Amino acid sequence: MEIQPSFATDYLASGPRLVAAAVATALCLLLAFAFLLLSVVSSKSKKPPSSSSPSAKQPASLKACDCPCTCGSSVLDSDSDSAPMAVGKTYANGGGVVEAAAAAERQSGASMMEQLVPEITTHALSYLDYPSLCRLSMTNSLMRKAANDDNAWKALYHKDFTLEQDSVTPVNGWKAYYAATRAIVNINSDFFNIIRERSLQSMSRLWLNADYVKCVHASGELFSGYNAVIQSWQLAFNWDQGVDFQVRDVRVRVLTDMAWVTMKTFVDMDTGPFNVTNVFEFHNGQWYMVHHHSSVMLIDGDVDQQNIHG
Amino acid sequence: MSSSSSSSSSPPCPKKMITLKSSDGETFEIEEIAALQSKTLENMIDENCASTPIPLPNVKGKILAKVVEFCTKHAEAGADAETLRAWDAEFVGVEHAIVFDYILAANFLEIPTLLDLACESVAEMIKGKTPDEIRKFFNINNAFSPEEEEDVRRQNQWAFE
Repeated sequence: MEIQPSFATDYLASGPRLVAAAVATALCLLLAFAFLLLSVVSSKSKKPPSSSSPSAKQPASLKACDCPCTCGSSVLDSDSDSAPMAVGKTYANGGGVVEAAAAAERQSGASMMEQLVPEITTHALSYLDYPSLCRLSMTNSLMRKAANDDNAWKALYHKDFTLEQDSVTPVNGWKAYYAATRAIVNINSDFFNIIRERSLQSMSRLWLNADYVKCVHASGELFSGYNAVIQSWQLAFNWDQGVDFQVRDVRVRVLTDMAWVTMKTFVDMDTGPFNVTNVFEFHNGQWYMVHHHSSVMLIDGDVDQQNIHG
Repeated sequence: MSSSSSSSSSPPCPKKMITLKSSDGETFEIEEIAALQSKTLENMIDENCASTPIPLPNVKGKILAKVVEFCTKHAEAGADAETLRAWDAEFVGVEHAIVFDYILAANFLEIPTLLDLACESVAEMIKGKTPDEIRKFFNINNAFSPEEEEDVRRQNQWAFE
């Protein structure tokens, strides 16, 4: 009495195994049938006198003969999950077998992706961009583990951002570090877009309302405290024509709730280029600017003079 | 032609062929030059194990045929980069299950060019698809519980803002 229910649960739990067993049984039956048919057909075709050509006919029957168990056992040793696939693929003849093989192949397609040797998976993942890598990690727990691989994200960091910080070990892993870096890069771009748009309102939202924030414009003037800083931007926006500029060599360093960014801005032949440093702080789930410093960049010819002075 | 060193009267550089045997017993011939693209085969050639057919139990005949084709094409002298790239694109423009087989074969035979090509192709298949589409395409089972799924979604939100 008690045996039956537990048997039923075992039965239900091993669903895929059950399917594999059923497929194998079906294949064996089909094979036996095919073998019977073939032997009948070949015996009939041997009737016309052909002394030399029986050897040509032989391969057909040989194939049906040597396939079943020998092939299955040799391919099975490494991967038990591919059992239905191995048995299915060895038969060229036989109609209903093709369907079973296709079903098995679909099943094995899934296990194939997940069973790729780790180093191949990492290699394949190295070609992905960060949104695809994230989406892949959302498919299932095995893919999540593969797609969250620390080395993969470290490589992506070096590819997308900078080769610097190679010796750094981020506290929360490289994926989190990549995410934080991306957030800072975005907010840094926002800062420059605000300057391009000359939107004082956006600028006043970006800065942290504190007395220790400072801003040093390219003119060399230093402004200290939120109000003074915002006022200085108001002046700048009213004054400037609204030049377009390019930002390059953005380098980010992120710690838990603080980040600093260095970059170079290029305006035109007469103005700049400038070295710029921005510092951000993390408050209430948002990044705020707390420091900005822009200074004229030294161009090659002036380097010798600088060395004498300092 | 005075005889100096050569004992045989064969032409100066005969194309040396190597025989490979797939897991299902099919044999394929490949020029030695082409075979050198595979580090595994290169080692065997260096150690003089290449005189008899080399058994490759991990590679099926269907795939081995294509691998031989790939190596032969890439060993051709004077192929310009553009046409080769186009040929490569066509080579991996097949069902993804077959591309996986290429990856495994290229890994086993240590053919870096084929491995890179196939991996890049798989990456292209993944790019731009939503997690659901990825699951359906590669037939991956969704093993997340609803809470885990929500967790994962939240953790990856930063990438889609």
